[in-house]
This record gives sequence, structure tokens and C-alpha cells, in this order.
Amino acid sequence: MEIFTENAGLLLDAIGTTLLMVVVAGVGSLLLGVLVTVARVSPIPILRRAAFLYVQFFINVPLLALLLLAVFALPDAGLILPLLPTAIIVLTVYESAYVAEAVRSGVNTVAVGQIEAGRALGLTLWQSLRLIVIPQSLRAVVQPIGNVMIALAMNTALAAVVGVVELTSRVNKINLVHAKPIEIFTSAGLVYMLIALAIGLAAGRIERKVAIIR
Amino acid sequence: MFTSGSPRRRVAVLGAVVAVAALALTACSTGTSGNVPGGNDATDASGVEQMLAGAPVADESLFTPGSTMAKIRDRGTLIVGEALDAPLLSQQDPTNPDDVAGYDAYLAQLLSVYIFGKPSVKIVPPASETREALLQNGTVDVVFNTYTITEERAKQITFAGPYFSSGLAVAVKADNKDITGIDDLGGKTVIIGSNTPAVTAVPEAQPTAKLVDFATDPQAVQALLQGRGDAYVQDYTLLASNAAANPKLKVVGQPFTAEPYGIGLGFGDAEFKEFINNWLLKIQEGGQWGQAWTHSLGTVVESEIPTPPTIGSVPGS
Repeated sequence: MEIFTENAGLLLDAIGTTLLMVVVAGVGSLLLGVLVTVARVSPIPILRRAAFLYVQFFINVPLLALLLLAVFALPDAGLILPLLPTAIIVLTVYESAYVAEAVRSGVNTVAVGQIEAGRALGLTLWQSLRLIVIPQSLRAVVQPIGNVMIALAMNTALAAVVGVVELTSRVNKINLVHAKPIEIFTSAGLVYMLIALAIGLAAGRIERKVAIIR
Repeated sequence: MFTSGSPRRRVAVLGAVVAVAALALTACSTGTSGNVPGGNDATDASGVEQMLAGAPVADESLFTPGSTMAKIRDRGTLIVGEALDAPLLSQQDPTNPDDVAGYDAYLAQLLSVYIFGKPSVKIVPPASETREALLQNGTVDVVFNTYTITEERAKQITFAGPYFSSGLAVAVKADNKDITGIDDLGGKTVIIGSNTPAVTAVPEAQPTAKLVDFATDPQAVQALLQGRGDAYVQDYTLLASNAAANPKLKVVGQPFTAEPYGIGLGFGDAEFKEFINNWLLKIQEGGQWGQAWTHSLGTVVESEIPTPPTIGSVPGS
């Protein structure tokens, strides 16, 4: 137990970094994911194609490969950012592809008749997306997006590989000194579990609140 | 408006091609250390075979019934916790998975010869995080994994040895003239390997240094060359081999720590510890200890075979 009290400051710092990554990348990927979905369902072919490729690319390339690419290959191309922002950006673009897929499945729940009705009323494309399609699709996919956010929280641990000192990286270092892997890694696992639980519960709550009663 | 009018199949193939290209690019960027020293070439292999053929074999009387070594001998293989990705120490040949070369690997083979009369090693790669757990729950018999003997660890497991003594040194970009050793690292950004002794040793020597850690040695070298840090602190031998393979890197100053590497054993197994310490003495006298070094670490540093550390000379061993 004294392992944790001795290192409380460092651990809280690391948990803070993990949470920061979850929140910033989470909000970022939600916004970006919705934009990608809008592009995917827009009537402009080039946008649709680009959004499709975007989603396919990020769903088919492992996150670890993307992180290594961003941290070690981009500097060779003259683009060097500090490690934490790099990791957050990579997590954002990666998870946004999954958000986009989730939201797209929500778009499919909006009846075509509603869009036709909107058009009949004279709504522009942007208006019908903003007022009819997006609000209803988002309400339909709260739970899947919650799952994407939980996956995002777990995925932040990969940033340890590229030098970001978040929870996983910190407990590694503490274990190196104290050599008590079972206790140390179980506790770290519990923290991740709590984060996942919090996201899951929040998603359930939001879903009940915004559910569309048909 | 919501129908997908694009020719899906074609685009999917294109997506896959892009993904593969990106992966190939990653492979290039992280694999720059291409030159893996540590001798998988023919001459070395036969040298290693000779070394193993001439290695000492334990006397029958040493296998007391019920002891750990007797159980291992009955099983027929020695289960060793050792890395598969540590150049010069324990590196698996990707084209021939049975061929694991390096100093730790050779010592593990020598120990198996001592027990069985012929090499018979099963490798379980440990993460540095899990070595104690693997020994405690009996997954592995011994750990050869540049396992620095510390008193904290000695409370969890038992160390035989030390069998080798190394130290941490500082590497910088070849054009860096300001940093000449650990004393110049105050306030600087220092790159280290995750789970290496540097994690604790650098803050002890330079409390104001800012640490950035990377999982593997090639990543750390890449990060140093790209300017993510001012210096890279790592085991002296490993740095020497990096510098030999890469002219953009140089090692400055002498090692500033002494890292005694021990052989990890299950906690409190005094009998087995004595057995292994006796074996270490025998291979030191028999010359195999030095040969293992010559065939691995000795290929990249220009110096004589080092003097083996005195067994039991370190707190915790």
C-alpha cells in the first residue's frame, strides 16, 4: 500500500494525463466524426469518396502503427510536435473514424420521408442535416459512441510506447523500482475499469435522457 | 441522398492499398537500426557450438532428489525468461526462430548444457514488468534478462551471480559539442528506454533532467536523432553498438553507474542458487564465460574480455 501513498503525486499526475487525453481526444473525435459522417452522406461525390477513404484508412491501420508513424516519421518530413499533443491528435483522428461509422448507422435510422418532407418545406441541405438528420442520428447512437469512448480510454495506454507519461507508463516506472507487478498493474487496471465504468454509466444516462420515443 | 453510389469494391481495395503503404512506411521509419550486430553469421555460429561442446556438465551428485535442478532435469528442458529483441544480448533471428543469439542467450544455453549435457532451452520472453511474477508463479526456472540486482527485487525473488557488470552511459548526436557526459545533463531533456535502469539512475544523478522514455532502443535512437531530446542514456555496450552502426551518434564519457546483472530464481531457493553460482565459477574458469562475451558483446567493443564480477559481491545477491 505504501507504494501508492509514496507515489501519490506522480500517480495522480499520470491519471490526469490519461483523463486529459480521453477528454480532449473524445470531444475532438466526436466533432470530427460527425463532420466525416456529414461528408459521407452529402450529395457531393468527391466529399463522399474522401470521407469513405478516411474511415477505411483509420479503421484498417492499427493505432500503434499510426502512433509510431506520427512520432517517428512525421519529424523526418519536417513536422515535429511534442509527444502529448501528437498522441492526442492521432487518437482523435483514429477514434473519429469509429465515431463516424457509429453516427452513420444512426443516419440510416432517419426515415427518408423526413428528409423529403424537409425538402418540401424548402430547407437547404445544411438545414436539413442540422435540424433533422444529425440530432436524430446522434440520439440513436449514444450507446455505440459510449463504447467508442471506452475503447478510446483503453487506447490511451498505447501512448506509453511513444514516451507519453500517462498511467500505464507511470506504473511501469513504479514497478521497475518496487518490483510488485501483480499489485501495481491490478491497481492500474482498476483505474481503467473505473474510467470505463464512468463513461458507460454516463452513456446510459444520456441515452435515457435523449431517447426518441416513437 | 443517403445511398452509397460509389463503386464500393474498387474503393475498398484502394483503401487497403493505402493502408499497406502506410504500414510499409512505418516499418521503414522504425526499422532504421537495420544493422543488427550480435553475429548470426556462420563463423560465430560454429564458435558458439564449440563453446557449448566444451562446456562443463554438472556432476550426478549435485542433483539432490526433490531439488529444483533435479525437477528441471526430469522435465528435460530449461525454461528461461529472456528477451527475443535485445541485440547482442538475446536476439532472435527472424528468419530462423530457433536461433537466438547474444550474451544472455549463450549463458542460458551453457546452463542447460550443465544440467542436461546438451543445450535444451525453452524461452519465455518476459516483459521487464513481469519478471518477478513469472519467477514467483513458476512459469520460468531462471531469468537471464539484463536483470539488475537490487535490494527491492531481492525481497521478491532470489538472485544468483552477479554474472556480468555493465553501466549506463550517455550518447548524443555526433555534432553535439556541449554535452560530454552525465554531468552536463542538468536541465536537459534526456531520452531513456522504458523499463531500463536509466529510469531510476538518471534522476539520481541529475534530478533536474527531464526524462522522455521510449519502448525500444531503435525508437530511442530515432528520437535522439530527430531532436526529441538532448541525450540518450542507455547501457554502455548497447550504445557502443549503436554508435558503431550509426555515424550520426556518438557515446560521450565513461559509464556513470555499475549495473550488476543477476540470474533471477524463485524466492528463497538457496540450493538452486548455490548450484548456479557453482556453475558460474566453472564457466568462468573453463573460459566459456569469456567466449560467450567474445561472440556477442565483444563483437562491437574494442577491449579485452572483462573481468567477471565476484559472485555474491552485490547487496541483494
